[in-house]
Amino acid sequence: MIELLDVEKKYGTKVAVRKLNLNIRAGELFAFLGPNGAGKTTTIKMICGLLFPSAGTVRVGGFDMKHSGDEARKLISYVPDQPFLYEKLTGREFLQFTADLYGMEPDAARRRMDTVIELFHLHDFADTLTERYSHGMRQRTVFAAAILHEPKLLIADEPTVGLDPKSIRELKVLLRKLAKGGTTVFLSTHTLDIAEELADRVGVIHDGELIACDTVEGLRRKADTDGTLEDVFMKITDEAAGGTDGSARLAEATA
Amino acid sequence: MTAIDQATVFRRLRRTLAVNGLRAMLETGRLRFYTMIGTSALVAAFVFGLSAFGFLELFGSRIPAKGLIVAGLFDLMFFTLGTMLLFSTGIILYASLFASTEARFLLATPARADRIFAMKFQDAVLFSSWGFVVLGMPVLVAYGLTAGVPAYYYPLLPLFLLGFVLLPGSISAIACLLFLRYVPRSRKQVIAVAGAILLALLAYWIARTTSASRAALLENNRDALESFIGQFKLARNPLAPSHWMTNGLMEAARGETVRGVLLPLALLWSNGLLAYLLAALAARRLYRTAFDRSAGGGGRAKRYRGNLLDRAMELLVFYLDRPTRVLVVKDFRTFRRDPAQWAILVIFAALMLLGVRNFNLFSSADIQGIDRYIIGFVNLAGISVLLCAGLSRFIFPLISLEGRKFWILGLMPVSRRQILVGKFAFAATGAILIGLALVVGSELLLGLPIEGVLVHALTIITVAIGLSGINVGLGAYLPNFRETDPSKIVVGFSGTVNMVTGLGFVLLVVAMMALPMHVAATLRHFKNLEFIAFPWWVYLGLPLGVVLGAVATLLPLRAGARSLERVEF
Repeated sequence: MIELLDVEKKYGTKVAVRKLNLNIRAGELFAFLGPNGAGKTTTIKMICGLLFPSAGTVRVGGFDMKHSGDEARKLISYVPDQPFLYEKLTGREFLQFTADLYGMEPDAARRRMDTVIELFHLHDFADTLTERYSHGMRQRTVFAAAILHEPKLLIADEPTVGLDPKSIRELKVLLRKLAKGGTTVFLSTHTLDIAEELADRVGVIHDGELIACDTVEGLRRKADTDGTLEDVFMKITDEAAGGTDGSARLAEATA
Repeated sequence: MTAIDQATVFRRLRRTLAVNGLRAMLETGRLRFYTMIGTSALVAAFVFGLSAFGFLELFGSRIPAKGLIVAGLFDLMFFTLGTMLLFSTGIILYASLFASTEARFLLATPARADRIFAMKFQDAVLFSSWGFVVLGMPVLVAYGLTAGVPAYYYPLLPLFLLGFVLLPGSISAIACLLFLRYVPRSRKQVIAVAGAILLALLAYWIARTTSASRAALLENNRDALESFIGQFKLARNPLAPSHWMTNGLMEAARGETVRGVLLPLALLWSNGLLAYLLAALAARRLYRTAFDRSAGGGGRAKRYRGNLLDRAMELLVFYLDRPTRVLVVKDFRTFRRDPAQWAILVIFAALMLLGVRNFNLFSSADIQGIDRYIIGFVNLAGISVLLCAGLSRFIFPLISLEGRKFWILGLMPVSRRQILVGKFAFAATGAILIGLALVVGSELLLGLPIEGVLVHALTIITVAIGLSGINVGLGAYLPNFRETDPSKIVVGFSGTVNMVTGLGFVLLVVAMMALPMHVAATLRHFKNLEFIAFPWWVYLGLPLGVVLGAVATLLPLRAGARSLERVEF
């Protein structure tokens, strides 16, 4: 579903992503991890077609994002870390707008809207202007809109921020269900236990380079540790930085 | 049933947004809505009155070629408004196409690039044409009524206007897209150089026009008049859309030939629509790559440090304790690092000084004493209103903007009262410096007598301090901690209350402190008592105004401090 071939992205003189090769199959739940500023969001934006690679090719569903981006974007839903909603639309009107934009048939759109309103418990505020929503309500509405047209690829950047524990639990169940149903899920997160619990494979990016990409078990073997994904992540990224263990340094500094 | 096309989707979106927006405004922000309509109506009525007076004077005088004079004025007005539209549409389009979260959202959907552009273009043109409607239409209606034009002149006005706004809007859209697509690096430097060239050209033109106008007034001969009119030949060029507007409207006003009206109208619409199509085509081809370039063209991050200005600010508030001085410098640093904030003030101030200087140059040969007083008074009122608008925009939201990070201040070893005093000191220092420099500078240029300059100086200091107290005090008393966008805080309910209070205060102080002197000057002029000193009652309003200023400073600050003490974080 997603193919990145020798992808590079430069911001002026700064290289944000270098020689990135990634192949994610349909129905896979892929977690993308990395420290702040590692190039996660830039990669996501290139997959969505918001940014174009300075070199290399990005393909989604077989469509080249540079030349057939409009076709590719019909298959994609993107939930950014700071979701956007029209403040002067109600949640229901926003869902209707999304359905129209993705060219859904009106009857099918109506049925799907009822389903996602039910799924994300939006009844109580679906007819209120979104300007009055809390962060959690906004996040749920954006997710509802994102899966409304049954995308082939769902990209979510830090989807659990601002959600309460119950909503996080429900989101995790939903993501797994979507992946089982054939939707590819590309998840960028700092919440490592979610990645550990859900992901079929985990990619770790550091300073623009993909330094590891495997199942959680595979990463453990490579990192030569039996610990949690957090331990694996710390070890891999510290080794990539060429330094000592970050937490050891922090402990030293605060001692 | 089949899926609907994207044009309909966006049309529906705009309609729903407009209806919901209007409904929400009428439900929760009725005061703001009526203030907005009322202010616009007031400005339009003022422009209408002034224009009608001017046209009546012109038509009643024995000046030859009145039609030519009106046509020249219209050419100039449309040219100026067109140029303003060019810049304002470009700026709005840049912000909405390249810097908004909505653009990022839409670009990640299957929405076509030219569709997104079309929606944003219509919004930008509509928004920037608001000034055209409020300032341009009253002039045209006043002309129609005073010249006794046929009835069909009036319905033609919006048709001409709509056709006209398309062209500058589309040109600026194309320029914006080309610029962001093909100038990926050093954009700030390119804009700065282009801006400097434009300013130099403008200054050269103003100098030439001023000199030609002075010659035309003093020499009073045909050559001098032609030389003056020649300065506006760009606006009068047969290929200039501003000239098509003038031609069409003048023909309609004369009611002569249908062809004379329809040809310019057709020219405007056909060229405007062609330019719009080209802009949409450019958007289809370039918008996504331009967005990519705009996001990825950043150079090396600039390193910011403290500088001399910060130290000067700290020196100016020497009377405060050290922690409060640190807060003042923090606010000042935030202000000076955001050119969008102070650029507007600089432009307004420059225009005001330019206006005063031009008036002086124009009339230096036969300026009457009374004219100096009238212009001086208008100048003082204008600068006071400028301060009111500036402080409402930049100072009032300061406390609200601390909202989400109020815990930082809350945990610092400074009292809430000190925070408020710091903001007041920052506001008052800036307002006094700007207000005093503008008032004293412009009135020395005008040649106003020293007692007039002193009265105005005291008035503007009172206005500056009082407005600072009102803006800081009400900002703390009616904070909006949920909003992070200062412009939304300003146009909200509390912002409107603050603006109205500030304007009322300005009106009272200027009327109390400065108006008596101007009334006396007018009486003296009309009774031919040029050399008699001002009577005692001229100065009676000064202490009253100072007391009013003190009350306006202390009451809101006290209320604000009490309210701030109760804030939890």
